[in-house]
Amino acid sequence: MTAASPAKRFRDLGSKAVPYLLILPVVVYYFLFWLRPVLKTLIDSFRTAAGGFTFQNYIMVFTDPNFMPALRNTAIIVVFSVSLEFIAALFLALLINRKFFGSSLFLFVAMIPMALPAVAVGAMWLTGLTAHGWMNSLLYYLNIIAESHKIYWLTGSEWKLLALIIVVDAWQVIPSVMIILLAGLQNIPEETIEAGYVFGGDYLTVLRKITVPLLGPTIQTAVILRLISAIQIWLIIVLLVGFSRMPVLVERIVYYHEEVPGLDISFQMASGYTIIVSLIVSTAALLYLRASGAFGSKKEAAR
Amino acid sequence: MSEKIKKPFKLSRLIRKTIFYLFIVTLAVVIILPVFFLVSLSFLSTREAYLYPLPLLPSLKARYSLTYGERGYLLSVYDDFNKEYQTVLDTNDFEKMSVYMHSQIGTPFSIPEIEEVIKDLESGPEDTVYFSARKDLLYNYDTFFKVTREAVPALLRSLQIAGMTILISLSIGGLAGYAFARYIFAGRDALKFSVLFVRMFPGVAIALPMVIILANMGFYDRPIGLSLVYSVGSISLTIWITASIFIGIPESLEEAAQVFGATKVQSFLRVTLPLALPGLAAAAMYAFLGAWNETVSAIILTQFNPTFSVVVYQTLLGSVGQVNLAAAGGLVMALPSVFFTFFIRKYIQQMWGGVTI
Repeated sequence: MTAASPAKRFRDLGSKAVPYLLILPVVVYYFLFWLRPVLKTLIDSFRTAAGGFTFQNYIMVFTDPNFMPALRNTAIIVVFSVSLEFIAALFLALLINRKFFGSSLFLFVAMIPMALPAVAVGAMWLTGLTAHGWMNSLLYYLNIIAESHKIYWLTGSEWKLLALIIVVDAWQVIPSVMIILLAGLQNIPEETIEAGYVFGGDYLTVLRKITVPLLGPTIQTAVILRLISAIQIWLIIVLLVGFSRMPVLVERIVYYHEEVPGLDISFQMASGYTIIVSLIVSTAALLYLRASGAFGSKKEAAR
Repeated sequence: MSEKIKKPFKLSRLIRKTIFYLFIVTLAVVIILPVFFLVSLSFLSTREAYLYPLPLLPSLKARYSLTYGERGYLLSVYDDFNKEYQTVLDTNDFEKMSVYMHSQIGTPFSIPEIEEVIKDLESGPEDTVYFSARKDLLYNYDTFFKVTREAVPALLRSLQIAGMTILISLSIGGLAGYAFARYIFAGRDALKFSVLFVRMFPGVAIALPMVIILANMGFYDRPIGLSLVYSVGSISLTIWITASIFIGIPESLEEAAQVFGATKVQSFLRVTLPLALPGLAAAAMYAFLGAWNETVSAIILTQFNPTFSVVVYQTLLGSVGQVNLAAAGGLVMALPSVFFTFFIRKYIQQMWGGVTI
């Protein structure tokens, strides 16, 4: 240490600073365009319309008759869609990873839903799910329903709507989960899998004992990203059934901001909801990361 | 591997393979079916689009019959499903008839042509004449761009926004991605987690306070403002993807270049960057998809200068309100995205293979 010349010490310091310099633009960017709006929302959520400090906004949110239904609907959608999408995506990824003749084309087909813009998807399901839509027409052509027996997809019980939304949303979201899993699968050396078969494992055993454990970090990535965005679902719901018909958390933010902007409390409610949603998302993400052992494995990986 | 070994022909193998491919095809059909109907809908005439059951494919021509009516001439269209002519118009205004035939049935038919048919009717022995007209299949696409006068400038604006988003997120995010891939430094995990943390705040909730922030900067209702907002989400994605891409390129290559006298920057520019280029292009397309497809922040952050997605949204829900037009607009929008997806699929492993959160 003592032998090092000042010039070398300076160079060492310089090379230590390189990664921080590379990251600096991101930090500055997030400070300007993420932290500022977030802080503004946070401050607004504790403000009265006149500008004083208050907890009233949160009390209003919690006593909002739509809050509990919104929380419940969001929770149900998240639990079912994340698990359904994960299973379907893993299934598709395993299928495509078998590299059969035409698998590359099939991969392209399977990726198309994620490329479609939300408005196109909205138009697609809206024209599909009305009583005169293509879903009923198709079922009619397939002789499954009679001409006079149309299925009214978008009416009826809340459970039916929830199920419908989970399926419709899954159609678009599965590919983005699938490609992450597929990338992980392609990283697993073929020899490892073959070794499993050599030692007498059948497909399911190899899947359970070798493939899925090796896929661990990839699964974490895919699920955490999906979990974060699943809690924030709202647009497809509003496109299909409109505001307030099936309240979910983020839909409430937009509702108070865009649909009833004239009310005194709208802005306060929207801010309050925003902070609550963010807290829920980050808590859920942290819980998942802890439960899936991401924090433990990170220390291991860092060595 | 075992597939490659030549096996004697076995019927059971053939059957297994057939079933496998039947399954794959069924799956592909299920995935693609909704898109098929959207495409089909975008070519249907307005009359067809509101029929039940909806035609599976757009017709290529329309069969008409013309006879004398109470107010002039009675125009009927052949309905393929019910197998009968259905009266649609009773008028002696030829211009109205021509416009109706074009805008509702999708068949361009000029006034002189109508007069020709009427001459046939009056000179012929029967009191009804039959004729057919070819359909203008691109009518909805044409009309979408005509009725929404905003569409073309909005399209250009959306391209500009997507381009700037790519530029911002790839330059800023790419640098950070490189740092995460190549260096181990104090606070690395915390920084990586904070990138994930950024995504936990709803995007729409960022857009709302951004109205005032952008207005103060003079960026409200301008493309640059939207690309700044889109880059927030896009940067974090780009960091993961570029980190994964750089991890996939051996550091030893850079070191070798340095042995031969290249500086660190040179070895990056001359060795790593060219190798990373295809993956980076795929990452750019990912950023494109996000910016191009986004609607909600665009609705909040624009006023007189909407993006293309906003125009399509307004066609779908707004005053224009014709599903076949909205479908045409939506498909125009989907075209570049689907095209890029075709390219991206080859780089999945580079993009996501090395992502750890």
